[in-house]
Amino acid sequence: MDHKKREYTMTIDTKDCFTIEGKLALPYQYFAGRTGSRFITSLRDNKKIMGLECKHCNKVFVPPRSTCEVCFEDISENWVDLPNTGIVTGFTIVRYEEPHQPVKPPYITALVKLDKADTPFAHIVKGIPLSKMKTGLRVEAVFAKRTTATIMDIDHFRPIKEGPSFKLGYSYDALEVGMSDSFTKTISETDVYLFAGISGDFNPMHMNEEFAKTTPMGTRIAHGALPQCLIAPVLGMKLPGLGTIALEVTTRFKAPTYFGDTITATGEVVEKLPERRWVRMALTFTNQKNELVAEGSALVLPPPSMP
Amino acid sequence: MDRKVGICAVAQTHFQRNKWDQRFQNMALEVLESLQQQTGVDFSEDKGIDMSISCSDDMFDARTISDNGLTDVLGGHFRCEEKIAQEGIQALYYGLAAIRSGHADVVLLLGHCKESQGKSRNRVTHLAFDPFYTRPVGLDFCVGAGLQAQAYGEKSGITDDHLAKIVVRARKMAANNPNQPDTQQVTAEEVMASAFLADPIRTLHAYPVSDGAVGMILAAEDRVREFTDTPVWITGVGNSMDSFFLGDRDLASSVALKAAAGRAYKRAGIRDPKSAFDVKEVCDQYAYQLPMWMEGLGLIQEGRGARWVDDQEWDKTNVNISGGMLAGNPLLLGGFVRAAEAALQLKGEAGSRQVKNARTALAHGVMGPAGQFHSVVTLERD
Repeated sequence: MDHKKREYTMTIDTKDCFTIEGKLALPYQYFAGRTGSRFITSLRDNKKIMGLECKHCNKVFVPPRSTCEVCFEDISENWVDLPNTGIVTGFTIVRYEEPHQPVKPPYITALVKLDKADTPFAHIVKGIPLSKMKTGLRVEAVFAKRTTATIMDIDHFRPIKEGPSFKLGYSYDALEVGMSDSFTKTISETDVYLFAGISGDFNPMHMNEEFAKTTPMGTRIAHGALPQCLIAPVLGMKLPGLGTIALEVTTRFKAPTYFGDTITATGEVVEKLPERRWVRMALTFTNQKNELVAEGSALVLPPPSMP
Repeated sequence: MDRKVGICAVAQTHFQRNKWDQRFQNMALEVLESLQQQTGVDFSEDKGIDMSISCSDDMFDARTISDNGLTDVLGGHFRCEEKIAQEGIQALYYGLAAIRSGHADVVLLLGHCKESQGKSRNRVTHLAFDPFYTRPVGLDFCVGAGLQAQAYGEKSGITDDHLAKIVVRARKMAANNPNQPDTQQVTAEEVMASAFLADPIRTLHAYPVSDGAVGMILAAEDRVREFTDTPVWITGVGNSMDSFFLGDRDLASSVALKAAAGRAYKRAGIRDPKSAFDVKEVCDQYAYQLPMWMEGLGLIQEGRGARWVDDQEWDKTNVNISGGMLAGNPLLLGGFVRAAEAALQLKGEAGSRQVKNARTALAHGVMGPAGQFHSVVTLERD
């Protein structure tokens, strides 16, 4: 504003032309009307957005009004609760700055039609890059922390995240017999100690090298269940993947796992059970010498298919 | 009482970015004196001005009863003095009604506005919104136009390129209009490089801030010849107001304009508006509005706005020969000046922008956010 003023005085010969700086300011109370009062107080006190329905025209109005503008019917008692969600039917990006703006430009002013309402109303949309803004965007109301008893008790609208934000694994229908995946990890002394802590199994054959020398293995070995655990990241995060529920895992131990061994846990789809939409998987656990450490099977419920 | 109403004379000041050395009373007086000089009219009781109708706005003038500051220019102490605070073209409608009803024979119309005096016209138009649902969201006419431009662009296929062509052409035409002395020529590239105000509206897509005044003398059919040899007859008028809330309207299709135009055409007995007018003056506050209003007025086929801009048919069909509102009139006077420009064409007084043999004309005015309120006036000369 200083810039503008400077321009003004620079370009104009103000000799004998006096300008008085003025300002109209008028403290005032606007009565919202009975209909408007109900809308505003329910928004303020209950964070509830309400509309008025014309049953004759089958139309729900927001902001509310007591009379249908189409058929002139009195609709002042036909309140309906509206959800906080809706769709953007139009928008603009406001780039210029004025004191009457609720947020600092650039910002998005949009027409938002709430679900179950028929008339969109103007509000602010945040939480989306300006370049990505589009009509048809699904949005939800974010309520203000402090009330102003105006429409700004809805602070703004933000995009609704459509669908899960994680990519789910293979669904029953997407899985085929023969599909396989695996996970590989080197078992360290630390792993064995942590597993002892988790299971409470501080058996000296895992903990005490001197004792272990006296056993048939001649040195410390990992807990039998430790390499078996490595199938969990396969089933839960790879095949079928996220969203899988394990129903049953059985294993038979075939060889010991020594400290420093690198174990590969592999799962393979061997059977689809259409009745319950379960999948049976064959499990194998091998070490770096490709020796079979354990084998078994698992029964899993794969994730639902993505919409 | 069924008598025709004629426009006897038209006067306007220059429309300039900042008429810093004139108060609005000075501008109005300049117009009044020009009208008196052209017609010899005065305020005498037997054959002078019966009624004065001014157009101004309390918010733009930052005072209540904005006509009160120029009662002497309006002759308020002599006769009936009225004010309208809508688009200035309403003064013409009002004057027409006063004469046709028999209440007055000779009517002075006088509109003024100094948009430059407000710190920002957006702050003025912001006050047109209600204090509960729309003011808190920060709406003003520019935001409303942005919402409409986006909606119409999506529907019509009007692009940034089209909008630039409209602005370039408007300024080219305005160079021929001596009432627009401040108009600077621009290239399409300059338009498309200008900053966004409210996407897709750019700075150069918006009508410039300007100051000025415009006026007319209207007279009843049986009195017209006392004031002019070249009267312009008002053959039809139509108004229509769309819903207040932007969300209640179809912003991409101007229902109100179609209704206003339909009323005017019916009164004027016009069946085919596309071929009815030699001259068309359309109120384009923002570039997108020119093709949109042309469609709404039925002057081009609905949905053909983009093609119409591509084909640049505006020159041969004499649309906004004055440069239109994009070349610069205050918000309040856009339609009033359109009517004045149309009347000058029919009177043969349009100087270097004169359209040869113009006999019929259309003038359009618009007020309110995103084309809420439209007025259409049809004119004809003998």
